[in-house]
Amino acid sequence: MIEPCHDVVCSFWSLLNEGPMTLTIILHTLIVLPMVWIYFDEKKKMERGDIPNE
Amino acid sequence: MENRPSVWSSNRFWRRSATWVTGVASVLLVFLTFDSMGQMKMGTAADIKNKVDKRIPSPLVINYKIDYKLNKTRGHEIPIIGGMDANGYSKYEEKEKFFGKDNWSEKEAKALIHKGKLTIQAKNCMDCHTLLGNGAYYAPDLTKAWLDPTWETLASAYGGKEYAIAKFLENPPAMAMHERKMPNLGITKEEAKAVVAYLKFMSAIDTNGFPRNFGKIKGAVDARK
Amino acid sequence: MQGNRLYEGQKLALKYFMVAIVLFGAQLLFGLVAAIQFLYPNFLFNILDFSIARILHINALVVWLLYAMIGAVYWLLPDEAGIEVVGVKLGNLAFYILTAAVAVVVLVYLFIQIGPGKESTIWFITEGREYIEAPRWADIGIVAVVLVFLYNVYATVMKGKHTGILVVLMADLIALAGLYLAGMFYTDNIAVDQYWWWWVVHLWVEATWEVYVAAVGGYILIKTLNANRKVVEMWLWIEVAMMFGSGILGLGHHYFWIGTPEYWWEIGALFSALEPVPLVGLFVHVLYDWGKERGKGNNIKNTPAFAWLTVETFGNFLGAGVWGFMHTLPQINLYTHGTQWPAAHGHLAFFGAYVAILIGAIYLAIQGKAGLKEMRMTKASWWAITLITVGVLIMSVSLTISAYVQTMVERGQYGGTWEGYFIAQANQWFVQGMGWRLFSGLAVVVGYGFLVYDLLTIDKKQPAEVREGAVAAA
Repeated sequence: MIEPCHDVVCSFWSLLNEGPMTLTIILHTLIVLPMVWIYFDEKKKMERGDIPNE
Repeated sequence: MENRPSVWSSNRFWRRSATWVTGVASVLLVFLTFDSMGQMKMGTAADIKNKVDKRIPSPLVINYKIDYKLNKTRGHEIPIIGGMDANGYSKYEEKEKFFGKDNWSEKEAKALIHKGKLTIQAKNCMDCHTLLGNGAYYAPDLTKAWLDPTWETLASAYGGKEYAIAKFLENPPAMAMHERKMPNLGITKEEAKAVVAYLKFMSAIDTNGFPRNFGKIKGAVDARK
Repeated sequence: MQGNRLYEGQKLALKYFMVAIVLFGAQLLFGLVAAIQFLYPNFLFNILDFSIARILHINALVVWLLYAMIGAVYWLLPDEAGIEVVGVKLGNLAFYILTAAVAVVVLVYLFIQIGPGKESTIWFITEGREYIEAPRWADIGIVAVVLVFLYNVYATVMKGKHTGILVVLMADLIALAGLYLAGMFYTDNIAVDQYWWWWVVHLWVEATWEVYVAAVGGYILIKTLNANRKVVEMWLWIEVAMMFGSGILGLGHHYFWIGTPEYWWEIGALFSALEPVPLVGLFVHVLYDWGKERGKGNNIKNTPAFAWLTVETFGNFLGAGVWGFMHTLPQINLYTHGTQWPAAHGHLAFFGAYVAILIGAIYLAIQGKAGLKEMRMTKASWWAITLITVGVLIMSVSLTISAYVQTMVERGQYGGTWEGYFIAQANQWFVQGMGWRLFSGLAVVVGYGFLVYDLLTIDKKQPAEVREGAVAAA
């Protein structure tokens, strides 16, 4: 499963690249996961009714 | 058709998400760029002396024999500079004369590469050819042009392939190899030499195995017949 | 649309549109020359070589799209903000400077063509870097003109209404302008050169331009279908999230083979796949809402603009999305990089994503200029949209077939050598593809003729009931 890095230089990003799709999964998670928090935050505000009418 | 508000159709949710996503993707790109720029710095004379592989080698590679071989560990072809060791990596030992000498100094080599790159841009090479695969598709890719078998066959008649390529560049229609011929771009003798140096240097750039199987396979089927 | 009273900003927009359409013609003309040269290499040899024809083809494309983009912003800006464009005099001055500079650059491309291998060539003749060949002096001029444009947009929005469309445009335009700076330097290191070159090219066409298009597309939907502004703005933010979320790191798919580290394979492979999806979502959503209200007197207010927007929605999805994804995985791209594949993708994507919507915006401006409440398609509009759209579609399919030949024969069989290259170029299927490309290119040129005729006459050819409506409204 883990492919050791064989690149010319092995940097931090190459280390993340060693597992099966780990680099792309981590990057996607970093980008998408906080949207879940934003979702629940918005939901809370909506239920409390403190969303100003736009 | 209920009218209960949903987060999914709220502008605020999407606006906040868009802001977050744009910001974090930009920051990630900046970090990746710093890392890549570090790895893509042009090599130096010291790197060659210490046999350090660089993605973009020192211009001094023009003093060495260059090859492009499959590396089992990397899983694709890599440039081999100055002979190959037992593990399939560059040895930086075997020299090769380039325009009559194999002891170009770092300064001379850099000046040559500089003029070569300027000429490549000044003559709009990229609007017919591809370099590292980018450009126009009207003429062959130049990424590994230095290693192309065509020049090997012409080398002896001109006293070395660098002379053959330079001669071609100075007046391409005179040596046209195809109906779709390269026009005469007024490339001077000095410019031609510099461009050849750039082509040799470029063939030593580690392109992660592009183009694949360069010059290795001969086709068996010819659809023209 | 309030009768014939146009804002000064909108009059400026019309000037930008005029130059844009002229340059569109130049783009097609030089594209035709290049297409002929693929089949008959001696055509104009030594007079207008392929490289020059191609520079003019792609530079005219980029410049006319930018002109039309600036024009469309000047058109919608006073309408959205509800006030006259601030600094419109300065904007007019910038327009004339830009147009004079473009004329000089084109003349230098045409008649000087190339220079000696010195820095002076980079500064005054050509930079020799695909798409951004414009010499350095012109780069600096472009930046100055764009700064004026940005000032006008920002100052107007600050003073007037801040609609969601304008907020997105403001953020997007500053990124668009800033990115151009990444292409304004010289380096001997070709890998680093191309790394930054892609920041301009990719982050323009696959990020900032796409968001721009979504904003203008939203505006056109509001104008033609009376779309609900809240719905449009929601989709706009979804588009920004998806476009920038995937497009910014999608840059990775250009970093497979140019001397960049291997980890870009994985980044480039999976980002940037879903880019144009939200635009289709917006379109379908609005159309659905409109369908529910249909027959209650809310006709499509501008059928040609709407038709071009329809072409854009699906052209963008097909050209940028499907055709792009077809060769975006590194395992495939290893064999397609540097073949006609990107050409096939590029033609359909540029047309589908940008050309179509900007023509739509021009139709909207013509309607506004004539002060018509409603504008209907004429026969010429129909011929223009049909010939151009079908033409570009056939062009892309034929280029794809030629590209397959190149991938299989040149790359697969012959390992990418010069010999392999020319064997593939002579392959009968490759040549047939090029033939169909030329034929469909001619169809596009005829379509362009209809388009110009239509843009000049459509306001006079409106049916009586539409004209009477205009009189009643005025």
